[in-house]
Amino acid sequence: MPEVRDRLVGIIVCAADPAALDRLVAPGHGARTLRVAPDETMAVVSPEFTEDLRRELGDRVAALDPDALVVDVSDGWAAVALVGDDADHAASYLSALEPPAGEGFAQGDVARVAAKILREREGLLVLVPAYWHEHLRSRATEAARAAEARG
Amino acid sequence: MPSLRLDGRRIEIHDGDTIAAAAFRAGVRTFSRSLKAHRRRGLYCGTGDCANCLVTVDGLPGERACVTAAADAMRVERETGWPSADRDVLAINDRLHRLMPVGFYYKVFARPRWLWPIAERVIRRATGTGTLPLRATAERTPTRFVRVRTLVVGGGVAGLAAAATAAADGSVLLADEGSLGATVTLPAARAAIARLTTEARAAGAEILERHAAIGIYEGPSAALLGANELVEVEAEHVVVATGALEAHGVFPGNDLPGVWLGRGAARMAAIHGVSLGDHVVVVANTDDGDDLAGAVRGTDADVTLVAGRVLEARGARQITSATVLTPDGRRAFACDALVLSLGWAPRDTLLRMTAEPEVVGAGDVVRPGCSLAEAEASGRAAARGDAAEARDADTWPIAEDDGYVCVCEDVSMHDLEQAWDEGWTSSEILKRYTTATMGPCQGALCSRHLADHARAKGATPAARGRTTARPPVRGPRLGELTGGVHEQVERRTALHDRHVAAGARIDHSGVWLRPGTYGDVDVEIRAVRERVSVMDVSSLGKFLVTGRDARALLDRVFPLDVGTLAPGRARYLLALDEAGYVMDDGLLAASGDGSFFLTSTSGGADRMEAWLRNWIDRLNLHVHVINQTAQLGAINVAGPHARDLLATLTDDDLSRGALPYPGHADITVAGVPCRAIAVGFVGELSFELHHPRGRSVELWDALVAAGAAWDLRPHGLDALDVLRLEKGHVYLTQDTMPDDHPAKLGLGWAIAKDKDEFVGKRALERMNALPLERRLVGLRFDGAPERGHPLTVEDAIIGRITSCAISRAAGGAVGLGWLRAIDGVFPNVLRAGDVVATVSPTPFYDPDGVRLRA
Repeated sequence: MPEVRDRLVGIIVCAADPAALDRLVAPGHGARTLRVAPDETMAVVSPEFTEDLRRELGDRVAALDPDALVVDVSDGWAAVALVGDDADHAASYLSALEPPAGEGFAQGDVARVAAKILREREGLLVLVPAYWHEHLRSRATEAARAAEARG
Repeated sequence: MPSLRLDGRRIEIHDGDTIAAAAFRAGVRTFSRSLKAHRRRGLYCGTGDCANCLVTVDGLPGERACVTAAADAMRVERETGWPSADRDVLAINDRLHRLMPVGFYYKVFARPRWLWPIAERVIRRATGTGTLPLRATAERTPTRFVRVRTLVVGGGVAGLAAAATAAADGSVLLADEGSLGATVTLPAARAAIARLTTEARAAGAEILERHAAIGIYEGPSAALLGANELVEVEAEHVVVATGALEAHGVFPGNDLPGVWLGRGAARMAAIHGVSLGDHVVVVANTDDGDDLAGAVRGTDADVTLVAGRVLEARGARQITSATVLTPDGRRAFACDALVLSLGWAPRDTLLRMTAEPEVVGAGDVVRPGCSLAEAEASGRAAARGDAAEARDADTWPIAEDDGYVCVCEDVSMHDLEQAWDEGWTSSEILKRYTTATMGPCQGALCSRHLADHARAKGATPAARGRTTARPPVRGPRLGELTGGVHEQVERRTALHDRHVAAGARIDHSGVWLRPGTYGDVDVEIRAVRERVSVMDVSSLGKFLVTGRDARALLDRVFPLDVGTLAPGRARYLLALDEAGYVMDDGLLAASGDGSFFLTSTSGGADRMEAWLRNWIDRLNLHVHVINQTAQLGAINVAGPHARDLLATLTDDDLSRGALPYPGHADITVAGVPCRAIAVGFVGELSFELHHPRGRSVELWDALVAAGAAWDLRPHGLDALDVLRLEKGHVYLTQDTMPDDHPAKLGLGWAIAKDKDEFVGKRALERMNALPLERRLVGLRFDGAPERGHPLTVEDAIIGRITSCAISRAAGGAVGLGWLRAIDGVFPNVLRAGDVVATVSPTPFYDPDGVRLRA
């Protein structure tokens, strides 16, 4: 049965001209950069690097687009990880989205709410707006049980 | 020996028995009664295609006895007939059929109209199709999503060949409603299935047994119903290989118990070892005659095999004789079972649900009666995208005389003739009038006959087609249908657990869970009016709007004057759509860095974001919108001591000069960074503290602790409803209607009339040039009114109450309500039942707004 874990993540949103985002070289800190819209990029990072990432991202994008906006929105997101070999199988009880194969992400309907799915080394990470945290955790736990029951 | 109970009677079960096999072996011949005439119905198709053997199993109705495995201690009940299916007093209906002609519902119950609801109840009880277990708890069926290149439906020879071939090119999922080969009686077919199963598995195809495809949809996608799951499949290609069943023969007496379709009869004899009778007549016009006769003979029955057309069957409780027109002439047989293999009917319901070119058929479903070699070739060709054209079976029983066309709905040839004569002259309209094909089998047996009838009557090609098939093919349970969509997805604020711990009654407020009250609404109201209170308003929509065109955007789309909104100030904001109707409201606050903070109603946040982004695109402006609804919590601190309370938790300047009404400032409260906005919704000095959601609990606890000095009590939605009503503030949707423009709501003051342009301006100008026919007014009552109650003048209804409350602060019962003008004049005195309502100016409380500017 895949394990369902709450995960703390730092999330920085960068809104800027699409051309600026095309040229933006994302900082390190192990951040995953998701281009969620032509004019918006979302960076996911370990919480301890959130402030560093916000500052560095802000500096870099300001050089490309002075009107760019960089905001720490970590409080607005909840992350639930499905850990284990059966993570994809459990995710199939939550969503019709195909989990990404590698560094990419998928966004759309997960457990009936808007979400993003990221591939991690040990499984999958699902991000939802924070007000759906309880809902996602509860549905992910159900999905993990269903996956185990089916084998 | 294991046993089940059928209507209380103990029946032994042999290994591998279905319910039908066990019951038939025990002598049960009548499995149900027909819908209208209450004729006896016995086992017929034996393959789960007809509805003759629907029974209730362990309290769950609508199970097909012929394909449901029997289990020890199972409780089975026949669903029709009173007092029993064997002795049914309503069998008298069969003799009164002249009183129930085709379409009699429409004819008999057209007038008087009041009779229909009564008749409907009586008819429902009389027809009897099982009783829903209303007290049972519905188990939600888990839903699983699968994406494959090829979905194959049907695990016969054609389906397995398709799966084995397609697996070479990508992922394949094969679904079969039973177990592969378990119901196949012909040795050659069993061998082919075993060989192809091995080949398909070796090629990597995933095989899902006991998963019935109940529908095919756009995409293509399909729904598979398993014993414990619903599987939604998205596929690039779908191969339907659902086979064929023997054609339904229509002749007088065709519905008598003892009349069987061939494959079902063969299963009963060859797989379950149950004898169909002592004298069995097999009428076969297909190649299966010898195999069927051989299978039935295996139970030591006396079998006669003939070819020809069945002219009639006779009998009372079951068949006793049959007359067949053979090549040698008319022959009569005494028999207790009549097995039919008159032709093939493709099980093509799934194929008839879609016209998508990616969905193709293979095997019997497109070549009814094809050989095993043809089926395998057809399956492999379909997997390669080389779909076979559908063709009719070589033989088909023509329905020329009387007999039941639709056994589910008791529709006979006579009924079709009569309906046609009444003017229902196409297959689709015949279906609607007679209800043929609309029973539980969904026309599996009869839809071809219906089309044939229209063709024989000379209908045009467009009027004689097969009727449309729609999901579901098999009747799923409600829990299965709702698998995955049952839930009301709720949004919770970060303070949810605090509210629960404080004993709050949690209400659904749109998509949010919010506290209704913490126990005593009056206490909460008094805390706001007399001391200080807090409310969790985190559900408000919150947006950061930035970029060099931010001010231009907001000025262009909203009707307020954004151009003069100074940094540090805030204004009430109305959002209008292009028709000038009120879409949402909120607050707009300007910051010194050129950005804006915008709030909307809790329920309107998603629409506000989409609307703003749409206008940014349409106007081609350089603006960024960040939806901070989830990111920020918000707590409203309200009451005459609100400033005093905050002062204990912050060193920032809270004076009227630093934080005016309506205005905002960034302050730190109890160590939590907040954007404080001076607001006035409840009519007292109030500060909304917008802060990082992750620190909501910390801030709430600090406010509650410090507020104890003023006996702080948090308030919920119930108190808010009264507080805002005392100020005459409207709740959008509760007090408004979709076509409300600002003047109807008394909100004309929120429109900057000298602005050149804003969304809805032209429409407003046109509407404002017309006299108001309806408007929202304040009301005072001399008694206790009820929300929603009509407002009348001389018994004529001219409006209704949208909000009302008994208000200590307003000195009595007050409310808001809609009024229509009478001859251009709005009345001032109305009635709401026994209560007199008088139109009154708003606000009812603190009309000059002194308190909120304190």
